[in-house]
Amino acid sequence: MVEDQALLREGIVALLAENGIEVVAQADDGPGLLRIVDGHKPDLAICDVRLPPTFTDEGIRAALEARRRHPELAILVLSAYVEPVYTGELLAAGQSGVGYLLKERVSEVRTFLDSVKRVAAGGTALDREVVSTLIADRGRSGGGAELAALTPRERETLELIAQGRTNAAIAREMVVTLGAVEKHVSNIFAKLDLPAGDDDHRRVLAVLAYLRATGGQ
Amino acid sequence: MTDHGHEIDLRSVVRGAAFAPFSVILLALVVIWAATGAGYFWPMWAALGFAIPTGLWFAVRWAWLRPKGASRRYALQASVSVVLVVTTVLIWAMSGGGYFWPIFPFVGLGTALLLHGLLLAPSQRRLQVRVDELTRTRSGALDVQASELRRIERDLHDGAQARLVALTMQLGRAEERLADHPDSAALVRQAREEATAAIRELRDLARGIAPPVLADRGLVAAVESLASRSTVKVEVVGQLDHRLPPVVEAAAYFVVAESLTNVAKHAPGASARVTVHLDGAMLVVEIADNGPGGANPAGGGLTGLKQRVEALDGRLEVHSVAREGTVVWAVLPCE
Repeated sequence: MVEDQALLREGIVALLAENGIEVVAQADDGPGLLRIVDGHKPDLAICDVRLPPTFTDEGIRAALEARRRHPELAILVLSAYVEPVYTGELLAAGQSGVGYLLKERVSEVRTFLDSVKRVAAGGTALDREVVSTLIADRGRSGGGAELAALTPRERETLELIAQGRTNAAIAREMVVTLGAVEKHVSNIFAKLDLPAGDDDHRRVLAVLAYLRATGGQ
Repeated sequence: MTDHGHEIDLRSVVRGAAFAPFSVILLALVVIWAATGAGYFWPMWAALGFAIPTGLWFAVRWAWLRPKGASRRYALQASVSVVLVVTTVLIWAMSGGGYFWPIFPFVGLGTALLLHGLLLAPSQRRLQVRVDELTRTRSGALDVQASELRRIERDLHDGAQARLVALTMQLGRAEERLADHPDSAALVRQAREEATAAIRELRDLARGIAPPVLADRGLVAAVESLASRSTVKVEVVGQLDHRLPPVVEAAAYFVVAESLTNVAKHAPGASARVTVHLDGAMLVVEIADNGPGGANPAGGGLTGLKQRVEALDGRLEVHSVAREGTVVWAVLPCE
């Protein structure tokens, strides 16, 4: 757990501990992250983007370096702002076990803990603002027409898939049955002409690849 | 612009009212001279008579191009002196040469010009010193402003925003523990949602002041970020091997941001291309789109950008041709 704001860091550590997630070490800068990762070999690193001494993008750089040294390490980045450049770099570094969430999402305790567990298990967690930026990009390119063919409910489902949610989580969020979600999902994959997969993770990758590929980036 | 229009009017009036009759009269005189035996070429004196006011007119026009005040007065004296010297030399030559008497007006006018120049020199020097001083303090003030804005953005991020995030987290944990008291839990959730909205507002505010990615990664990354947020398709071409002064980065960033906003607003179906490169010590930024064109360079957003760029001694031009798209081009010195 790497965060330079002590109040927030200790709060998150307490929150994770209360919910049965062991925090093996804490640090407040980029080199600290690398030290912990090398020494403790954790399942997951949670880190802020802006860290001392430069308070720029040290967290992202350190996370990418940690990932390079330990490809099996899952990374969850917490940031005060959504930055397409950073999420792009993070996703490019390997799409299994990565997450990028706005810091205030820690206040939605259940959802946050779901995200932490999902990323630690090799899944994806993208902030809903990251996803809506990705989807908004589509309006200008070839993907726009295909996305426009989705119903509002299907579109909502697509956003939740891109955030990395499982069918069960999507059903909970949208207050519908699991069967209804499965129907939306198969409609989406048919309309966007994506290879269907029952594996949650492969499904996220397909959707993200689709959004990124059609985004003109 | 009104000056320019005035000049055009004057020119056409003089051309129409003076030059045409001049040439007609001269032609007539030459014909009369030829018809009366083509002896001594006296029409040249009439030509000289026409040439003097014409020369004076050009001299005054040239002097009027100088900025108003001392330098215009000096230029006027110099140009009129040149016309007078040329006139006297012509008269001397046309009257058969001989003893070079034009030397006297030449020396007289030259001395007057020299005296005027000597008189002007100290005030010109003072002016130069003042201009240097103003240039220096202005760029200093702009630098200070740019780094102050970045500091404010960072303070918002590390101060108020961080505290609010910690607050929402505590509220979130409290809400979890109040699962058995739905009424209290609802109150806490409301408080948490309010705090989250405040975080969002602070974030938007901070981004408007100084976008984080600009401070963190520099201009090209910030432009790429703008491109990926834009609702039109944007291609970014550019590489800078070092960071530029914050004030230049910020001005260039807002030129690109405003231009891309304009493309999205006025040419939603178009695609755009942003190029960023250094030409010596000058940063050149160009935003070109293939939209319908016809943008008004005096439009509110563009005027603001122009002022911002000119405050840094840069230049901003907008070329917008109907059906050919719009190009916004800015050059910023980065010393």
